[in-house]
Amino acid sequence: MSKDYVQQAGMNKDVRVDGKRVAGKMRFNPPGSGGSRPEMAERDMEFIPELEGGNEAQPAGGHFQDKYRTGTTVGKRTPLVDANAKVTGQAWYGDDVRLANELIGRIIRSPYHYARVKSVDTSEAEKLPGVIAVSTGVDAPSQFGVLPVTKDEHAMAVEKVRHVGDLVACVAAVDEETARHAARLIKIEYEVLDPVHDPKKGLLDVDEPIHWRGPYHIGSTNVQKRVFQEFGDRGSLEDTTQAFHNGKWKFMGVNHGFTEPHAVVAHWDPNGRLQLYTPQQVPHYAHRALSTVLEVPMHQINVIRTFVGGGFGGKSDPFPHEMCAAILARKAGRPVRITFDREEVFWVNRGRHPSHIEVKINANDEAKISGFEIDALIDGGGFASFGHVTSYYNGVLATAPYELGSFHYTGARVWTNKPASGAMRGHGAVNTRCAIEVGLDDIAEKLKVDPVDLRLANLLPPHSKTITGFRITSNGMRQALERVREGSNWSEKFRKLPLGKGIGIGCGFFISGSGLPIHWDPHNFPHATVHLQIDMDGGVTVHTGAADIGQGSSTAVAQVVAEVLALPLEMVHVRSHESDTSPVDLGSYSSRVTFMNANAAIGAALEIREKLLNAAGEILDVEPEKLVLNDRRIYVKRDPTIGVSYLDALHKSQEDIGALIASGAYRTPPMGGIHKGAAAGLAPAYSFSAYVAEVDVDVDTGQIKCTNVWAAHDCGKALNPLAVEGQIIGSCHMGLGQVLSEQMVYGRTGHLQNPNFLEYKIPSVHEMPNVTPIIIESCDPEGPFGAKEAGEGPLLPILPAVVNAVYDAIGVRINDLPLTPDKVWAAISKKMKKLKLDDPRDLPVPTLDFSELQKKLEERSNEHRLRDSRRQRMEDTGPYLNGVLFGLDPTLPPEEQDETWKISVKPDSSQLDNLGLAGSAWTKKEQRHMAGGK
Amino acid sequence: MVGEDFVSMIPAAQSEIWYGEVNGQTKEVIAKSNSILLDVLRDKTGCLGVKRGCDMGTCGCCTVMIDGEPRLSCLTMAHDVSGSKITTVEGLSDGSHLAPIQQCFADHGGSQCGFCTPGFLIASQALLEKNPNPTEQQIACAIEGNLCRCTGYQQIVQSIQAAAAIHRGDAEAVASNNAAHADPHPSGPEI
Ligand code: FES
Ligand code: FES
Repeated sequence: MSKDYVQQAGMNKDVRVDGKRVAGKMRFNPPGSGGSRPEMAERDMEFIPELEGGNEAQPAGGHFQDKYRTGTTVGKRTPLVDANAKVTGQAWYGDDVRLANELIGRIIRSPYHYARVKSVDTSEAEKLPGVIAVSTGVDAPSQFGVLPVTKDEHAMAVEKVRHVGDLVACVAAVDEETARHAARLIKIEYEVLDPVHDPKKGLLDVDEPIHWRGPYHIGSTNVQKRVFQEFGDRGSLEDTTQAFHNGKWKFMGVNHGFTEPHAVVAHWDPNGRLQLYTPQQVPHYAHRALSTVLEVPMHQINVIRTFVGGGFGGKSDPFPHEMCAAILARKAGRPVRITFDREEVFWVNRGRHPSHIEVKINANDEAKISGFEIDALIDGGGFASFGHVTSYYNGVLATAPYELGSFHYTGARVWTNKPASGAMRGHGAVNTRCAIEVGLDDIAEKLKVDPVDLRLANLLPPHSKTITGFRITSNGMRQALERVREGSNWSEKFRKLPLGKGIGIGCGFFISGSGLPIHWDPHNFPHATVHLQIDMDGGVTVHTGAADIGQGSSTAVAQVVAEVLALPLEMVHVRSHESDTSPVDLGSYSSRVTFMNANAAIGAALEIREKLLNAAGEILDVEPEKLVLNDRRIYVKRDPTIGVSYLDALHKSQEDIGALIASGAYRTPPMGGIHKGAAAGLAPAYSFSAYVAEVDVDVDTGQIKCTNVWAAHDCGKALNPLAVEGQIIGSCHMGLGQVLSEQMVYGRTGHLQNPNFLEYKIPSVHEMPNVTPIIIESCDPEGPFGAKEAGEGPLLPILPAVVNAVYDAIGVRINDLPLTPDKVWAAISKKMKKLKLDDPRDLPVPTLDFSELQKKLEERSNEHRLRDSRRQRMEDTGPYLNGVLFGLDPTLPPEEQDETWKISVKPDSSQLDNLGLAGSAWTKKEQRHMAGGK
Repeated sequence: MVGEDFVSMIPAAQSEIWYGEVNGQTKEVIAKSNSILLDVLRDKTGCLGVKRGCDMGTCGCCTVMIDGEPRLSCLTMAHDVSGSKITTVEGLSDGSHLAPIQQCFADHGGSQCGFCTPGFLIASQALLEKNPNPTEQQIACAIEGNLCRCTGYQQIVQSIQAAAAIHRGDAEAVASNNAAHADPHPSGPEI
């Protein structure tokens, strides 16, 4: 480091020649926040919406919160508010919490896939000098789980271990060496049981199911959850079928691969309260589970969320190791820190479900999609985790953005003796989305039309309802498709590239916050709450429970507060780490934080804004409606020289009450159908995305390199384009890993073979394509300033886009992810054999001659473009239901107009014989309906 | 970790005095002779900015500069580098003055969750010290051993390019870097 530098912050050197700057130095003039200045920074008209008189374009129309925009930060490329902590190494993650007198905890895990724990003898370990506490399952018999309906986990094994790596006991010792040594001295006697590894076997009756659900257990199988959903009529499809696609897919399990391994520090303070430091995405659920397992009321536990080194869904379950640390710390009377090594992260897993998915798509002679049939068998591993939800998401999130004639879904999630699967970025929607989008590519090929036009002519418009009854508000799907088509020069390339080069398209659709969150009572709690507090110094403290896991939620919340109050971002401080000071928040999952927390924050800020305006009005003796806020000043609209400083107004409004405090909350509007499972997939808004990917395939080796991606994502309104782009590119990276290289490999004996980053292949910088992020702003009517999610949805389209591009490059479809060179090469050789070729370089590439349908599609999509833009701008507010394209009346629900239309959530007896793989779970009866059921 | 029998592979090690110049300060600590550098830095010298992501040389989170070279501290025996000059992320800034590379990571979205950031910063700083004018390919090669799960690398590469411009003394880049952190709301004189 340059040594010729005098370390004296601010010595007349605000700016240093070497480009470094004086941190912490901002020219706020004393007394701190701008006094009564005659001049101030002008409103940044570039960031005031055009309907409010500014220059910010609003192609999708206005928003009801536009009038509160002040041009301060919303829409600007804003570095994360905690970025400086991260680049200086001062951000404190789980393992960075070092308390005085700490002990190191170590977990003893099962070496067997499935076994009964007969005895645990800890006496040897306890005798080892340096060992302070040892604990086993008997210390915490209460069950927990992230979903209240499926509490099937224990802190440590109580009766059985259910996968290799399942927790059996734990020790706390003075240092890691001793703890590791002690772990090996614990003697455990197991009775090995017959494990189930293949999810297909999970559908069969066995002697000893992995869990037992009593009267609700399905036969004596390992089926954890089964779903059946039918909308429309299956029979009527077949006559009009012009093109038919049937794809049988296999998806491997995928791990989140966050860089920070799990870590936890537990400490019972002198008052007997638990202080638990953990990198959690959802501290509130951990809080609840801790209270259950430790048998301590929630108010005696303070969950402190440390910085989170990546979550992606993998840190959203309450985890047994968190309980272990707390139990050990209670026994030892000293803080206990447990840090995982990378292998343990894989044993805990909660990654994407390994799945067998079958997709059938029909299209009629007008190239309308007459139906989707999806059958998804998903491998849940040893525990339920988020399984109920995943089982639904695999079906219901695949329907939109398309208008369908019918939709049939059968899904089953089975327990197997593997580390549990759970929620991962794009929860439940990723695999089926891939299968559907590839199916549509195939349908387009069979109809001899452009797959982009096929999609454009079958989209649901904005402000409509999907076939499953989800309420779509803003919808930028059409613009997304058009922008990527344009950006990638699609028409010049598609089906025109030489062998080995290909281009493909994929779309995505995802929830922006779940309408019915897990622990939630619609009558008592809002979805999100934010408190604001302003003391006399003028700084704003925002209390929110939203967990910033790197996605920038603290930044988004700070931004909207700064925007409403027209304060520099530096005057807004977000406090979100402790459950003691933060209002309950349901956590960072289902892409809910921006939508719900920013809305709650705007609500609170508006309350403060009103108080400030009233105070200023009183001082100036004008009506508050005539005042504007800008840059720490409140002034009369028509004459900016008449005004007061923000501080003066603040102090005036604080005269009688001291600090200004406001609380804002967000609750979703009532929505959704009444059928069983109607709530799964409901969201106050949905995001849409479309990607075009270009690949190079080496036909000699089967190696695929993705070279270019055009990624359009409709996030409603980009509060912070820098972060939105970061999310898009990051999603692209993660999806690319799943489609090209990442897989959890279970060997013949069911053992996980690659629990490390050496063999679990995450793309490095060299594998990354050039991503062109394209932000589509459709302005959601209910989103904060129009915003929707951007964290998960952008992951979905990359998988099918790459698979479709590979087909374009070599004319082979591979339905088995990841597309590793061996699989690609095997597919190439098979094709060569079939065509009797010797040289892979002679492989034919697919070509495209448009049929006359293409014209029709273009016409239809042109008509729809008009329809969509009118609906988006609310010029047409008539109702629109899925089915209008098929001639239904948009004002009536389909079941009232078409007697063959049905909504059913249970197969009737005539259907039982021709159900798919997962559907066959319905042939079993629940115990309570069985003669002699247990 | 998952296994029944305890096989002690490494005989109990002696403690010894380990010393080094960590971030410009001479440190002397007592450590086991078989300690790895990552543990010594995190547990003994208080450099908690050095991160452990995998412990087996696959993630790059633990990268530190040893005598000017970026190395993986999880694969380095502390004993072997005793006496060396070691720079961790904490040593990049002068007090609270951020180094250009840090500032650029913050400003260009090079850091999301931030756990990989210390490793990336060191790897890129080492590159820039040798080559203030790297091509995109050279940047990629410099950070190929570092894993980032959040950003998809693109904004990291952009951050490094921006920092390179400052290192070259590219006037505009220096100015814009400063401008990015001038008072966002310059105020008139107080009256
Ligand atoms: S901890 Fe050293 S490379 Fe991962
Ligand atoms: S920023 Fe999270 S791993 Fe790189």
